[in-house]
Amino acid sequence: MTKKNNILKQAAAYPHIVWAIIFIIAPLLFVAYYAFTDTDEAGKVHFSLANITSLAQATYLEVFLRSVCFAFLATVICFVIAYPVAYFISRTSPKVQKILVMLVMLPQWLNFLIRTYSWMAILEDTGIINSILGLVGLELHMINTPGAVILGMVYNFLPYMIIPIHSAMTKIDPRVLEAASDLGCNPLGVVTKVVFPLSLSGVISGITMVFVPSISTFYISQKLGGGNFDLIGDSIERQFQTQYDYNMGAAMSFVLMLLIIASMAVMNKYSDDEGGVIV
Amino acid sequence: MTKKKLSFRTLCIILTFVFLYMPIGVLVLYSFNAGDSTAVFKGFSFKWYIELFNDTATLNALKNTLVLAILSSVISTIIGTAAAYGISKMKNKYIKNATMSATQIPMINPEIVTGISMMLLFVFVAKLINSTSFLGFWTVLIAHITFNLPYVILLVLPKFKEMDKSLPEAALDLGCTPLQSFFKVELPAIMPGIVAGFIMAFTLSIDDFVISYFTTGSGFETLPIRIYSMTKKRVTPDMYALSTLIFITILVLLLISNLADNKNKIELSKKTKKVLKIVGGSVFGTIGIATIIILCISATTEVKTVNVYNWGEYISDGGDDTLDVNKEFEKWAEEYYKSQGKKVRVQVNYTTYASNEDLYAKIANGAGGYDIIIPSDYMLEKMKEEGHLQPLDSSKIPNLKYLDTQFENMFVYERTETGENGEKTTINDRYGVPYTYGVVGIVYNGAELLENAPEILAHIESGNAGWEVMFGIPKRDANGNFVYDSEGKMILDMDDPENKKFNESYLKLKGQVLQFNNPRDAFGAAMYYLDVDVNNPTQEDWRAVYGLLAMQKNYVGGYVMDEIYNKMENGAAWLAAYYAGDCLSMMGENSDLDFFYPVNEEGYHQTNIFADAMCIPAKADENNLELAYMYINFMMEEEIASANAEYIYYACPYTHVINSDDYKINMGYYEYLYSNDGEILEDDEGNYRLKLDANGNPIYDPEGDYAVIYYDFKTPKVDDPNTPEIDFMLPIDYMFERYMYKDLTNVMLTLNDGTEISQLNMLNHKWEQLKVQSTSMIGIYITCGIIAILIVGFIVYSIIIKRKRRKLYWNNTPTPKAKKREDADPDLSDTTLVAIGKAKKREK
Repeated sequence: MTKKNNILKQAAAYPHIVWAIIFIIAPLLFVAYYAFTDTDEAGKVHFSLANITSLAQATYLEVFLRSVCFAFLATVICFVIAYPVAYFISRTSPKVQKILVMLVMLPQWLNFLIRTYSWMAILEDTGIINSILGLVGLELHMINTPGAVILGMVYNFLPYMIIPIHSAMTKIDPRVLEAASDLGCNPLGVVTKVVFPLSLSGVISGITMVFVPSISTFYISQKLGGGNFDLIGDSIERQFQTQYDYNMGAAMSFVLMLLIIASMAVMNKYSDDEGGVIV
Repeated sequence: MTKKKLSFRTLCIILTFVFLYMPIGVLVLYSFNAGDSTAVFKGFSFKWYIELFNDTATLNALKNTLVLAILSSVISTIIGTAAAYGISKMKNKYIKNATMSATQIPMINPEIVTGISMMLLFVFVAKLINSTSFLGFWTVLIAHITFNLPYVILLVLPKFKEMDKSLPEAALDLGCTPLQSFFKVELPAIMPGIVAGFIMAFTLSIDDFVISYFTTGSGFETLPIRIYSMTKKRVTPDMYALSTLIFITILVLLLISNLADNKNKIELSKKTKKVLKIVGGSVFGTIGIATIIILCISATTEVKTVNVYNWGEYISDGGDDTLDVNKEFEKWAEEYYKSQGKKVRVQVNYTTYASNEDLYAKIANGAGGYDIIIPSDYMLEKMKEEGHLQPLDSSKIPNLKYLDTQFENMFVYERTETGENGEKTTINDRYGVPYTYGVVGIVYNGAELLENAPEILAHIESGNAGWEVMFGIPKRDANGNFVYDSEGKMILDMDDPENKKFNESYLKLKGQVLQFNNPRDAFGAAMYYLDVDVNNPTQEDWRAVYGLLAMQKNYVGGYVMDEIYNKMENGAAWLAAYYAGDCLSMMGENSDLDFFYPVNEEGYHQTNIFADAMCIPAKADENNLELAYMYINFMMEEEIASANAEYIYYACPYTHVINSDDYKINMGYYEYLYSNDGEILEDDEGNYRLKLDANGNPIYDPEGDYAVIYYDFKTPKVDDPNTPEIDFMLPIDYMFERYMYKDLTNVMLTLNDGTEISQLNMLNHKWEQLKVQSTSMIGIYITCGIIAILIVGFIVYSIIIKRKRRKLYWNNTPTPKAKKREDADPDLSDTTLVAIGKAKKREK
């Protein structure tokens, strides 16, 4: 293989690189630009840290804390549900597995606004769950609570936790598991000591794919939280859509981005995977 | 043992699927609802499916979504596969890493940041090239390709790595050209990755709302955006019907592909393959020819388009046996051109938005391409001030003669022009034609109130209830000033016995009261209650209204817009302020609901009145102007306007509609909207008598220029023949003068320290403060903390154990061959080794 030939082959990546520079890098520079500037009354743009520093107010810190907490809990719950399910699915025959995986992904094809909307009918005080509970004389207030928001997040992003974990598990050589049990490991030990470390890359992708959308969501908190629990996503959306304060909105986006990059960096310390496991 | 385990396993899977499919079951169920609600099931019917096929705007949005998903996933698959190929051949580590990091950004970045960052770029470019219709299909397509690309690359790249490197070399050795080797050897090997990438891209694109929402412009609406824009009015069950159809289609497709997969194992004979090829070829050929023919036909007829941007669910759209107004217009306009001897195809490109603010954000972003927009009063004023609207040519709207005289001067602005000789002429420019108007009222559930808070119900039914049912009565000190707590919230009055009694009943509504989820209406409600000028409050006023809303935040069930429909209709909330027309729609669904217009202590109605008007943006396409005027005029035709009024339940400002007997009969709640000659806010039971002064003359409102009379609710009604009979009413123009929202952008508020701030900024600032205000959620934080500590503890523990075990293993094995470890997966070797180590230990 000649060197020239190889350079030619690399050129196949150039359209993408150009695309990434124009439509990924450049827009982010715009966000940074808006975040660090302000427009004065004369319409002049000047450098300013006011937007970033105003985020340090107690109220905004609380919004950030709240979002992180909600997203964190949603991720933990997703993991707790998804891990066993992914494991059990991976233990079935390939044919059944294929169908089950498809069934997991199928709800994602329906619009998430609509799905969230129909959760409202379920969780309402007069909704489906409470009508059933009402038969035995119970009542549970669910809608407009933090729990409802977290449930909405778990529901919407659960498949993104199941699929990568399952896909990492299917790559495990069954002989390894057999070896472990042959060597005297009990079934629980096989899962915690062999399967879990081997599926860690899937877990990491899953956590990323749940945590990131959860922390920035704005529709779910509006519909299931009754607008009582403002998350960062709500604040950002409001800055751009009703307050027209692009600078403040960009500052929030910028901080959110840093927050996520920081948490991803921490996460990636524990994974040596290139991030190739998604589906 | 195994059986038990199996059932636990199955149970887990089944429970998860129940969780995943519960909402889908609900939406399938409600798609067959005979009623209009997505919360109350009234019986089985197919009507929403029929409606769906009549709803051209939704079908158009569906088409857009599919086209977008297909195009973006195809393009991103091609670019992405090429990129993955290139990246896999890269030798320079730094370039490779840099490319990979840049690729991953859209995956790691929150959707909202990606959407916003691209919007900022597009808006910048649009300003640069001075284009008005830059945002639209192409920008959304670019955005979709951008967020699809990383997924494609990351799915295809591993396949290149897994592929045996000697294969393409062998192909080259055997005489293949490099291109042949790529298509014949490498491509089949990476095909599963490409297919997975394509499906992933398609799925993401079809479901994307956030990024499309920020990057779209005029005339291009995807299904998710359409659903979101319905949220000002309501999400209709035909969306559920559509979702059900999509769900079933996909399910069937998946089943077929699954079955086909199983059958693929059987080799198809050459003959069947040939037949399949012929059939496939002819099918594609026919489709292609048909497309060309259609294109040719459409090329010969001229197409005229009018781009209408309206609120969601704000026009009679053909659902439920109503008139499809847009279709009627297309037909009518085509006929009109025919009579002129022109063959023209007319298209109404109808898209929707959820709020005035959304509309403004689009227009102010420089998104042109809209020919007709329908903003509300204050937004119209703001847009006019900022030059986003053009004055209308009244001569082109002959139907203006039907406009009720009370609206004649609305949205008409004076302008003086200095002629050549210095003489000044006054010109009246009309910027909007009123479309509908309405009043904010309070809708309540009589049955629930009777059961849970009968005092409140009695208060409402007495006819002198005002905003206090929404807020409670705040405490005042001896001087009549409000009392605030340390956070600036007001406190419910529990000292004054009468107020205490009321507040105690009010507290029974805790969690059952709904407040507006937009700043203007939420603050407006508080301002009307405290009798503050909604268009120019002072700093002290702001403090008071904020304190009131902050106090209310402890008691409200939520800040909502469209959700109010479901919540009120199924009895999940008992009391809410909303727009009259929408309250009437709710009453149509649940007979327990009723509604009233809040009055103040003196007894006159004090609430927001609003009007929405049809306008033509300054940047509208000149070629579409003729059609735009025709559209506005058409909307004022009696048949069309009554169809709209009956469909959306808002009051109609056109005389020929209000006076038509058909409309009076068809409109179920006519008396709520216009009782007695435009006396729109009166109780028709006549329980009130006039408030009279000592001489027996009616007392007139001292503030207004109008002869508005206070109602006397304090004195019980007596049948006194001497009471003068006066046909009293609140004239609409008086209401508009006093209670309509005006644009606050340029109204300046002087703060106590002398600085000036725009009232709009103040409103936004206070709203932000209210919304982000802390709600006590200590429980959640503590749970979070505990879990986080547990996880960190677990990680630390497992690292320690790992180190210990490694030590143990290496100590027991005399010759560690470190070089082996480089090839194997470190985790794999680790764990296997641990298992071996453990076994060894046991042996000992």
